[in-house]
Amino acid sequence: MTTRALEMRNIRKRFGSTEIIRGVNLSVDERERHAVIGPNGAGKSTLFNLVSGLMKPDAGSISLGGNDITGMPPWLINRRGLSRSFQVSNIFHRMSVWESVRAGVLWSAGERYAFWRDADNAREVSARTDRILADFDLSDRRDAPAGILTYAEQRALEIAITVAGGANVILLDEPTAGMSRAETDRAVALIRRVSEGRTLMIVEHDMSVVFGLADRISVLVYGEIVASGPPAEIRNNPKVREAYLGQEVH
Amino acid sequence: MTGALSMRGALARPVGRGLVTRCGAGVAVAALLVVLPLMFRSGTALTMMSLMGISIVFALSYNMLFGQTGLLSFGHAVYFGLGAYFAVHCMNAVITGGFPVPLPVIPLTGGLGGLAFAIAFGWVSTKRSGTAFAMISLGLAELVGSSVLILRSFFGGEEGVTTDRTRLPRLLGVSFGQQIEVYYLIAAWCLLCMFLMYRFTRTPLGCMCNAVRDNAERVQFVGYNPQVVRFLAFCVSGFFAGVAGGLAAIHFEIANSAYFSATQSGNVLLATFIGGSGYFFGPVIGAVLVSYLQVMLSDVTEIWQLYFGLLFIAMVVFAPQGIAGLLMMHRPLWNKGGLPKVAAAYAIALAPALVMLTGVALVIEMTYRLAVKAADGPDMTFFTIALTADHFAAWLTAGTLVVGGFVLFRLAWPVVVAAWASGESRKEHVP
Repeated sequence: MTTRALEMRNIRKRFGSTEIIRGVNLSVDERERHAVIGPNGAGKSTLFNLVSGLMKPDAGSISLGGNDITGMPPWLINRRGLSRSFQVSNIFHRMSVWESVRAGVLWSAGERYAFWRDADNAREVSARTDRILADFDLSDRRDAPAGILTYAEQRALEIAITVAGGANVILLDEPTAGMSRAETDRAVALIRRVSEGRTLMIVEHDMSVVFGLADRISVLVYGEIVASGPPAEIRNNPKVREAYLGQEVH
Repeated sequence: MTGALSMRGALARPVGRGLVTRCGAGVAVAALLVVLPLMFRSGTALTMMSLMGISIVFALSYNMLFGQTGLLSFGHAVYFGLGAYFAVHCMNAVITGGFPVPLPVIPLTGGLGGLAFAIAFGWVSTKRSGTAFAMISLGLAELVGSSVLILRSFFGGEEGVTTDRTRLPRLLGVSFGQQIEVYYLIAAWCLLCMFLMYRFTRTPLGCMCNAVRDNAERVQFVGYNPQVVRFLAFCVSGFFAGVAGGLAAIHFEIANSAYFSATQSGNVLLATFIGGSGYFFGPVIGAVLVSYLQVMLSDVTEIWQLYFGLLFIAMVVFAPQGIAGLLMMHRPLWNKGGLPKVAAAYAIALAPALVMLTGVALVIEMTYRLAVKAADGPDMTFFTIALTADHFAAWLTAGTLVVGGFVLFRLAWPVVVAAWASGESRKEHVP
């Protein structure tokens, strides 16, 4: 039996009187590419926020590689090997591209809060930063402030920062949102490459991306998982068809 | 404008060339600090340069919070003042106890005092950022300011605590009785602190300070706790503010409540902002300029603070990147060799601008004379020119200067714009 990279057991989250996540059970195997789909407002981003520690679940438990991470702050979860990207680019606007990616590398390279070492002299950190910039086709923009990059470049930087720390579990929140067809194809190839040998969980609206990338797909509707399985099974699931035709599920 | 956005930006690479430039800059600053008192020998100049050195350390420590970590503090003088009190008490303890501690070590005790209180107060205030942090800093400044009159045994009440720097054990026979000796002591500490604070910007923590400034939320998802980053930056900043306070205590041989004043906290903010918080050398320019203006402007006019305020407003409105930002804006032009032409255009626009500003100053001075100093009569001098403030001709002159200067300036401005455009379209030199 393979180890679970990520396991959510009966998690719930309520905002005011509305319960957004209503008892989600979801597990992602190691080295699996797992997509979460569902209509707008289904709670996909909230689910990511709960797993990555931005929000705490009201009930249930979340474990990462068999260890309980429920209610932990984001930085502790990140140090245990889970890293996420954001739907709206969430980058360091005044820092250069190179500095931004390095910020993603520093902790995992053991630099921590050091204020007695020169970060520019950390060869391993610089080498890793250079490699990631090359992977993401950002080497030419290394000295540009992140804030002046084009939209597609900012999306690439967003993912570059996410994977820079070498986390085992990567969560990508709508990585191709707002991209052209050509940009999307490039992004998918890139995501496939950087998630090689790692566990990937992805929220995505573009069905060609989802079916082209995912090993398994879970469908989230009104805070509940209505189906979970390989792409072929999901494609033919009547409940999923119902949800995507815009009809009431209940 | 790209360079103007980043704290270090394009300077980061290539490393080899940057290293030579940085070492060169360090040696140049050191040489300047040694040579300056040989060029300006008067007592006033020495005092002013000593104050500038203190201000540079203080402003750089402030920018560690403001420019580097994005924390707006209204109470940075707290750590400056506590550093000064610690230094004075240490000096007095050394004198009475006969400990073998020479004066040049004393600023370190000021720094440790600043650090100790930065740890205590920072623990509370850095839990928040933004407006909440600014408000807490204001509250803490009030708290410490009012305790001066309550904890008299430590703060010495309104008179403060005095000391005598010449009574400490001598190092190499230097008594520090003369201002030139104090100047070199301050210059040495200023150089050391500049070096250390510059190094700080390049450390992993220094890099993460920038990240926290830009986006504290995202920092959480690359393994860092932004609260810890803010707290550590606050402590380091408090240490250097304390060193600056220790230097001030040595210079003035007294520590009193003025060190904690809101003016002190405000001045360091103004100096940092006017100099340019986005660059390491910005606060250095700001500290030098503000110290100079405080001494020289107050000699020229009684209402120098008004002009100081106008300067600040003008900077906020027209050049929020500060003087350093204005200078760095010209870097691409410099690279393309278009700077001489632009400089010539500036000279053309500067003349009417000065005429206009003279007119504005004349209006302000005459208004002040008539409204506030009415008892002294309307006869006054303006830049050695005698005039009568309630005379129509004087106001007509002032009005002509303002309006005429403004019109000519607007006419001259297109020359500057054209010079910029032609400079920017030049091909870049191959380095």
